Amino acid sequence: MSHHRERIATSDAPAALGPYSQGIAAKGMVFVSGQLGIDPKTGKIVEGGIGAQTRRSLENIGAILKEAGCGFDDIVACTVFLRDLKEFPAMNEMYGSFFSGTAPSRALAEVSRLPLDAAVEISCIAVKV
Amino acid sequence: MRTFLCGFLLLMIVPAPRGVKGQEHNRAIHTPNAPAAIGPYSQAVISGNTVFVSGQLGVDPHTGMFVEGGVREQTARAIDNIAAVLEAAGTNLEHVVSCTVFLADMNDFPAMNEVYGNRFREPYPARATIQAARLPKNALVEISCIAVLP
Repeated sequence: MSHHRERIATSDAPAALGPYSQGIAAKGMVFVSGQLGIDPKTGKIVEGGIGAQTRRSLENIGAILKEAGCGFDDIVACTVFLRDLKEFPAMNEMYGSFFSGTAPSRALAEVSRLPLDAAVEISCIAVKV
Repeated sequence: MRTFLCGFLLLMIVPAPRGVKGQEHNRAIHTPNAPAAIGPYSQAVISGNTVFVSGQLGVDPHTGMFVEGGVREQTARAIDNIAAVLEAAGTNLEHVVSCTVFLADMNDFPAMNEVYGNRFREPYPARATIQAARLPKNALVEISCIAVLP
């Protein structure tokens, strides 16, 4: 029997290439690893800059949540890491298009560098009803 | 003035928030086996079934100094500190569900990843890794995490 943590794995999001899981479900909560704008089919960051990377990152999150049996409406908190705060408006507009109704809490920071020199990384926590 | 008085009376009537059965709603962890919290934060907070652990550095709790060496040694010590806090909270590394890793230099990722991978088992926690502009006391790595009680 596992230690009450269930690994969430889907081929519709980039494979976990290290000691982490795409998502972990425990006690009714789903913890999603930081998602970059990587196309799961190619393993590469999508072309098109911050808007495209934000969209792909959130689509990857959606795939993981779907595998866990929940969706964007179940997200309670997101953390957004940006390589450049000047890209905030473009990220924010794309991000907003994924949420309707009550948007989750959010923390955001500009960082020095992200894996693969991505422009954005987004992680989140969801709570299943 | 009347509005103020009504508001004031309401404040006196509403009881202080309490958890179920008179327990504290959230419980803070304090253990000498991890670096003391030196500011307005707790080493960890327990809410219901979930333990939220503050970011840990590679600091030796007995000396208050960084351990000798580089990112590998600091990563190992930071995870040791997490383990000590989780033990005080009544759980352990096997119940960690999510970690956030802050690196001073993304080039240190492989070394950190190797040490990190040896401390956690399948199913691995969710994780986000970023390079920060700077960490407290110019640390090379900081790790925070969320765990659940067994």
